[in-house]
Amino acid sequence: MTQLAGLRPLRKTGLFLRQAKGENAVYNPASGKVHLLNATAWAIWDLCDGDTDPEEMIDAICEISRMHRDLVSEDVRRVLKEFDEAGLLVWLTEPQVPPN
Amino acid sequence: MEPGEQPRIRILLADEQSLFREAVRVVLESQPDLEVVSEAGDGLQAALEAERTRPDVALVDAHLPNADGVHITPLILECRPECKVVVLADAEDHELLIEALEAGASGFLTKGSPLSELIDAARRVQRGEVLIPPRLLGPLLGRLIRRRREQDQAYRQMSKLTKREKEILALLSDGADNNAIAQALVISPGTARTHVQNVLSKLGVHSRLEAAAFVIRNGIRDELQEATR
Repeated sequence: MTQLAGLRPLRKTGLFLRQAKGENAVYNPASGKVHLLNATAWAIWDLCDGDTDPEEMIDAICEISRMHRDLVSEDVRRVLKEFDEAGLLVWLTEPQVPPN
Repeated sequence: MEPGEQPRIRILLADEQSLFREAVRVVLESQPDLEVVSEAGDGLQAALEAERTRPDVALVDAHLPNADGVHITPLILECRPECKVVVLADAEDHELLIEALEAGASGFLTKGSPLSELIDAARRVQRGEVLIPPRLLGPLLGRLIRRRREQDQAYRQMSKLTKREKEILALLSDGADNNAIAQALVISPGTARTHVQNVLSKLGVHSRLEAAAFVIRNGIRDELQEATR
């Protein structure tokens, strides 16, 4: 995942998610690892729907947080890179069409 | 204040229930860095108190009488632009959260939150952070992205209109009929009707009402007026 342009992250299937007492966890049976996500990472995870591209994520977070775009962009890219390296994502070149 | 001591965070507390205000005041003032400088029982009083006491942070109930928390937020910010407003809601309400943020609030907290979160919220917003309940963050971002896409689509649709058609759309969104449009633009009612049909067709809508709703829903009224100047 070196270039994000035109790519849309999609959560892999077969992962187990758990939200409890303010903790968000993703268990990847393929690697046997549990990944704990903070609130921002969880929100980004939620947006990995195969339809939303990273630039849209960055724009929306900027709008809410009123933070500088460079900072937000760096954070979003870092989180997506971590997801990617943990084997939690696939990258689509075309938007995922939701099933009817 | 002792020399070298950090200035305390000055707080305005606005809630209809005096018991709630008193309880929160006691808790906030148990913290050495927080000071409740004024209280208000309704929205208008909150705006007046903000102007009078110039707080750093305003904790305002979402359902204040005489101008609720969302409506009072811009008034507080007008009196005191440096003030950070936290809206306190009864429940996690997505619509209310969006309205509060759009009104300029820096934070949103439910009244079911522990008092420690309220204390933390006062400190964090004063530092410039924006506070959103973690469970609402994902859905909020999703909604913003959808709305932004709709707006982009609306701009694309609008770019198909000629300057004259934009003038027609602006008038339509004000509720003008063919005669009023004709009068405003000094054209015949028949020409106005033709323009209206073209506007509806280019926007892909079926009625004047839908066209007006398109303008309002996508918040493009100002752009329309700008484009027709």
